[in-house]
Amino acid sequence: MNKEILKIENLTKTYHSQNVSATILKNINLTIEKGEFVCILGPSGCGKSTLIRCVAGFEDFEGKITACGKEVKKPGTDRMMVFQDFNQLYPWKTVEKNIQYPLKVQGMKDKKMLKEISDDALRKVDLDGKQKNYPHELSGGMKQRVAIAKALALKSDIILMDEPFAALDAMTRNKLQAELHLIHEQSGVTVIFITHNIQEALVLGTRVLVMDKKGNIIIDEQNRIPKPVTPASEGYGETWNRLHDALGQ
Amino acid sequence: MKKYQKLIIKVLFIVAVLVLWELYAVHRDIMAVPRLGVILKTLYEDMFISDVRPILQYLGKSLLLIAEGLGIGMALAFAFSGLSVASEIFNTVYNLIVSICDLLPAVALMPILMITIGATDTTIIVLVVHSVVWPMSRSIIDGFKSVPKMHVESGRNIGLSRTGLIFGIYIPSSFSSIISGVRVGWARAWRGLISAEMIFGVASSAGIGTYINNARTLWLSFPSVYAALILIILVGVIVEYGIFANIEKHTVRKWGMVR
Ligand SMILES: Nc1ncnc2c1ncn2[C@@H]1O[C@H](COP(=O)(O)OP(=O)(O)O)[C@@H](O)[C@H]1O
Ligand SMILES: [Mg+2]
Repeated sequence: MNKEILKIENLTKTYHSQNVSATILKNINLTIEKGEFVCILGPSGCGKSTLIRCVAGFEDFEGKITACGKEVKKPGTDRMMVFQDFNQLYPWKTVEKNIQYPLKVQGMKDKKMLKEISDDALRKVDLDGKQKNYPHELSGGMKQRVAIAKALALKSDIILMDEPFAALDAMTRNKLQAELHLIHEQSGVTVIFITHNIQEALVLGTRVLVMDKKGNIIIDEQNRIPKPVTPASEGYGETWNRLHDALGQ
Repeated sequence: MKKYQKLIIKVLFIVAVLVLWELYAVHRDIMAVPRLGVILKTLYEDMFISDVRPILQYLGKSLLLIAEGLGIGMALAFAFSGLSVASEIFNTVYNLIVSICDLLPAVALMPILMITIGATDTTIIVLVVHSVVWPMSRSIIDGFKSVPKMHVESGRNIGLSRTGLIFGIYIPSSFSSIISGVRVGWARAWRGLISAEMIFGVASSAGIGTYINNARTLWLSFPSVYAALILIILVGVIVEYGIFANIEKHTVRKWGMVR
């Protein structure tokens, strides 16, 4: 049985601006299986966002990316992006309309069905009751939850998350990590999650990747620490140190 | 200062001005300063009774032309701004056109319009369109340019087409710029229209400006001039607080998008 959902082959990404070109990613190869929660760690500026943006279809690139059996040429709802920025929701739409709008764009017209789906998605991210609020009335953590709910409602095959919790306070972040972990367990959705926080990668990831400053993948391993992961979990300290050393060099 | 205190000061000021006006009018008895009662009586007569000076008809005519001009001007501004966003070449040329045309007061174009188009409604509509289209284009283009890249990307992510992005993302996202563009356009058009009607007395287009001019030269009814001024102020207040403020309240304010 082939469970492969994303395949990146010889991905090279060069940014061209005015007179300089910078190659950020060089010959990246990576295969991700359905249901994996892949956390990508790496120093700031190493190309994590660039990598995930190529997968999302926001950037031109050399090489080949295949998602859900189709070659990636442009963005698509099979790969929903959750950004770090709290302002990713459309401020002119209520919370539920933010969730329903992508479905409408995709052709769903039945109002009752739309309502059911958005209510259900909001329940999953513990935001039932906020349907009619506008994004500016929500806290940062709530906005990020809505963004996740949006991807869930769309039944996106792969959810791409670019440091979605990085700007949250520690308590909210822990809460959202726990929620996201639960959502992943229950839905089996494939997640690619970028972070520069080792704890976060170990708590969430079923697989952890580390990129070095030059954009090479230097560690790619299964996260064998049993869930739920806490700093007291067996193997946590050892793994943390190893990843920390890899990141530091 | 508290809100009601400010209100009291404003009311007191207006009452004081009116009292002084009335005293002066009674004392001097000159044509340019009619008594308040006379002005109000004239306003009432011209609004509801007079066949010679039907002020509401004049006002209605002006408002009709301005509405038409605003509609056309806004449509053009959207079309041109859309093209500007789509094409770099068009954008360069259009920016130049906007910068130049924006400097020309509509009234200054009147002599040219009078000999090319003539003293017709079309001339007034062209004038209104001219007043609206440039400031509005500026606002729309500025607004479109400051749409967060992330919103455009998330729009592409959920499968919006090019037109889908314009209507689904660009327009709502730049709504507050668009409204301020319409505001500026309206203000310019309204002033320009009244000036043009008064200076050039566009006969076939008997608007509120023509009314003022007629009151002075034809009907020799100076209180009518003040009656017109009162209505002009009233229209301004209704448009600003009745229309624009309400649109903002139900859109950008509700969305938390006012800067
Ligand atoms: N649009 C762009 N044009 C040019 N260079 C860019 C662009 N986006 C990112 N870069 C550069 O690419 C490198 C990697 O950026 P990024 O992928 O955002 O890193 P990370 O997410 O790992 O912090 C950085 O050096 C950054 O300056
Ligand atoms: Mg980044």
